Amino acid sequence: MQFTDFVPQISSWQDVLAWFAYNPKEPLLFNSARFLKLFVVFYGIYLLLRNTFRLRIFYVIAFSLYFYQQSSGFYFLLLLFTTSLDYTVSYFLYRETDTFRRKLYVWFSVVVNLSFLAYFKYTNFLIGSYNDLFGGSFDFQDIILPVGISFYTFQSISYTIEIYRKEITPAKSFPDYVFFVSFFPQLVAGPIVRAKDFIPKIYEKLHISREEVNYGLFLIIGGLIKKAVISDYISINFVDRVFDAPNSYTAFENLMATYGYTLQIYCDFSGYSDMAIGIALLLGFELPPNFRTPYKSSSITEFWRRWHISLSTWLKDFLYISVGGNRKGTFAGFLFPSLFFFGLILWGVTYGPDSNLPFILSLGATLLFILTFVLSKNKEKTMYTNSNLMTTMLLGGLWHGASLRFIIWGALHGMALSVHKIFLEFFPSKKNSKTTVGSAIWKVFSVILTFHFVAFCWIFFRAKDFTTALDVINNIGKVTFEPEKWQTIALGYKNVFLLMLIGYVWHFLPEGFTQFMKQAFNKTPLVLKAVILGLAYWLVYATASAGPQPFIYFQF
Amino acid sequence: MSQKNKPYFLQSFAIVVLSIAAFVGFKSFLPEKIFTETETVSKNVVVDSLLLDAIEVEKAIKAEDTAAMAEVDTLEESEIVFEEKHGVQFPPETFEQYKGYQHLVALFQKLYELEETGNGNVRIAYFGDSMTDGDMIVQDFRSNLQEKFGGEGVGFVNITSESAASRGSVVHQYSGNWKTQSYLNVKRPDSPFGVNGYVFFTKHDTIKPIWVKYRAGGLRHMNRLNSPTLFYGKSNNTEASVEFIAGKDTLVKKLNPVNKLNTLLVTSANPRSLEADFIKADSIPFYGFNFDNGKGVHVDNFSNRGNSGLPISLFNTGVMRAFNDKLGYDLIVLHYGTNVLNYGSYNYTWYEKRMGIVVNHLRECFPGVDILVISTADKATKYDMEMKTDSAVVPLTLAQKRYAVQTESGFVNLYTLMGGDGSMVKWVDEEMPAMANKDYTHFNYRGAKKVADLIYKQLINGYEKYKTLKKQAEPKVEEETPVKENDSITVLKDSING
Repeated sequence: MQFTDFVPQISSWQDVLAWFAYNPKEPLLFNSARFLKLFVVFYGIYLLLRNTFRLRIFYVIAFSLYFYQQSSGFYFLLLLFTTSLDYTVSYFLYRETDTFRRKLYVWFSVVVNLSFLAYFKYTNFLIGSYNDLFGGSFDFQDIILPVGISFYTFQSISYTIEIYRKEITPAKSFPDYVFFVSFFPQLVAGPIVRAKDFIPKIYEKLHISREEVNYGLFLIIGGLIKKAVISDYISINFVDRVFDAPNSYTAFENLMATYGYTLQIYCDFSGYSDMAIGIALLLGFELPPNFRTPYKSSSITEFWRRWHISLSTWLKDFLYISVGGNRKGTFAGFLFPSLFFFGLILWGVTYGPDSNLPFILSLGATLLFILTFVLSKNKEKTMYTNSNLMTTMLLGGLWHGASLRFIIWGALHGMALSVHKIFLEFFPSKKNSKTTVGSAIWKVFSVILTFHFVAFCWIFFRAKDFTTALDVINNIGKVTFEPEKWQTIALGYKNVFLLMLIGYVWHFLPEGFTQFMKQAFNKTPLVLKAVILGLAYWLVYATASAGPQPFIYFQF
Repeated sequence: MSQKNKPYFLQSFAIVVLSIAAFVGFKSFLPEKIFTETETVSKNVVVDSLLLDAIEVEKAIKAEDTAAMAEVDTLEESEIVFEEKHGVQFPPETFEQYKGYQHLVALFQKLYELEETGNGNVRIAYFGDSMTDGDMIVQDFRSNLQEKFGGEGVGFVNITSESAASRGSVVHQYSGNWKTQSYLNVKRPDSPFGVNGYVFFTKHDTIKPIWVKYRAGGLRHMNRLNSPTLFYGKSNNTEASVEFIAGKDTLVKKLNPVNKLNTLLVTSANPRSLEADFIKADSIPFYGFNFDNGKGVHVDNFSNRGNSGLPISLFNTGVMRAFNDKLGYDLIVLHYGTNVLNYGSYNYTWYEKRMGIVVNHLRECFPGVDILVISTADKATKYDMEMKTDSAVVPLTLAQKRYAVQTESGFVNLYTLMGGDGSMVKWVDEEMPAMANKDYTHFNYRGAKKVADLIYKQLINGYEKYKTLKKQAEPKVEEETPVKENDSITVLKDSING
């Protein structure tokens, strides 16, 4: 990269067109050199426009749309369509007093939004499921998923519902609303920003403080290392291979690949979120935190308060509460869990002639779920809560991807949340009690247990199909204690295992240490901050230029 | 305005700009890669010791004399003309397009008899590396052939196998008390290697039983263990016996290890599962079980992870002839290359020479056998942040073609069949669902099936041409006219399939 690279060289119309050429193979990721080049030019002009309002808004919208066009091609028109629809509906919704019509407006907006999402994301899943279940032979459609549609759809829905619930006043003009939905830092991978948090900020005078910049840079550096160094390296050089063909690897490698994926998905997702939040801070906007070292959680309930926070709060506010929350039971709230458990038992029955295990397993899961409210003191209320919770987790699972695997993943988490609830009812945690040796051990045990449960669920999330997932689980079951073997394997994958170690140690560092690092970074002189950021770029570059590590075959 | 709330616009921009300057600076003096490819030296990592030796020798020769390299040779320019065999003569080929169907005529003739009469059998030994691990590629190749020409059974299966768990064409399990010697890393085995390149011994164990279990997989033509037969070698041990549980029957049979190679037919039934418990079998070299129905086509998968093909030169001629007497090989496929890439040099003269020796040795071990060389597949490596075809791939395919031409073997250029330059990147990243793994080297089951189909198609294309040529040759005496007609058909086919 040279400085001349930043000066746009235009010698013909073709050069200008080339800027808008959309290349599906090279999406505009925050951790790409191209984004850095674009950003530095964008940022300079953005700061020059700091005292304007309209111009600045239009400028950011233009850049955001360009950014989206570079990631998704012509689908930026879809984004514009969705935003204009929701803006218009909300405009009338806000001014409507008739309850029925208000309901009609909000339903219309939600249904249209979800239909787009359903068409792009779930058409092939529905066709496949229909073919499997009823022996149909519909062809799969050639549908390309617009990048970030799951995120901006949710963001747009939140706006309409919040206006319906009278929690916010609408954006003052259409461009302001487009600014909110298309704001490029969070556009493609979150965090899912809520209208009530973001829209008021648009109207404030642009201000960027030293603290914000420092924290933003701190997040960007961490995010870059998590996403583009740790996650990318361990996935391509180890995790992907094992999940491609688990049976070709030793039991220990299967286990380590599962731990590896657990770290990878966290680093990938939270790293990208951190970069988004950091970039937004540089622009003077504060986005909500999305991850708070989730694997430190000592229960599954706590995990969901620390993992992908913007999604779980969205789901809580707009799905869980809408189907009844912990107050009442609704048709929708019972429908999905009933369908799920019915399907599960049906699946168990089909294995009847070969093995009873699937049937026992599915019946056991159903009974366990029923027990979580039958054993409760307040049976009725808990039944509502748990089935609404299960609905949320099932649909939340499906949001992550169109496959049964994600539904199973969601169901496992939903079950665990219900089980944890009933556990708390029998063994309530004592608040403000002193830390004793016993409670410390219990805490460590809970963290380890929660971590392993989450890691186990990730297998279903990552494996390309059920057979692969079961192979991985089966292989992990064969792990025996053989430190010498482990050492040989660890040496073979030295770089991967070292990065995994760094990743986990970093994750489990005490909160105080992270604060200390942040403080230290704050006090660092300006030039040194730039040098540290430059060093992070180099780390990303030097990781990306390493070719895939050659294959190693172990034989014991 | 307090110190805390002072605007920080300019500073923020300065940091971003300076960070880029810092990066450009770092890039100029820090290394280009942080994660260097480490050379793993461990006794537990499979490496082909003959390959390593060959590379060492190659380095030494180069250091001594570079002038000898300037050898002029015309192989790649000259036309390749074939001699008539079994009344069939294929038209001459260029080196560029070389397929060498002429050298597979003996195989084609047997396939033809099989197709015409339904009698007879054809046996193929498919030697490979990790690409054919877990019966990948081979199982689909076998299944295609059995579908067309008949034949039931999965063929020869080892006693123990590093890739047993990933094999779907036969479920294979074994106890931990087997001693395995492989031609990959043992030069002087306790007893000669079998045709699979392995020899297995029971470890002395008076407590735990020593066993091996097989269960037929679900693939077409491989859903039974047809006439299971144990293959074992010579020993002084006269007390050994094996208890077999074939399906629901249990039977104990004594072993009689008097010859170089002995076989023991467990049952002429076709059970779905077989368990063998080896009793007092110390010092007897075991090779494996064969499962076939005696009719049609049978393909044995002899894959070894990490193999370059060179270890085949360690085969004992006498033992191989004994194997050939029992199994009767018509074709040997040599599918190697992946493990020969990545050694820094693009000069593969040494590999060409040594594989030439391997082929000659195979012809001595299996008299009259046809040989088919399959080139390395495409493999991608990262160059300047981008995955591209490894620059060693084309030189290696050329070397493989050269030794195929020189040893009068058939040749499949898998690299071009896959799509040539950049095809592996496509198979991994563009195909939906993906056909190869993220190491940009190995195929997954989908990709392996496609590779098998490509190889099968080329073989059958040769076979069809053989039939046409044969028909042309036969009625020569009677009529003149149909010859021309057929001739034009041949050309047509050529252009389609070339």
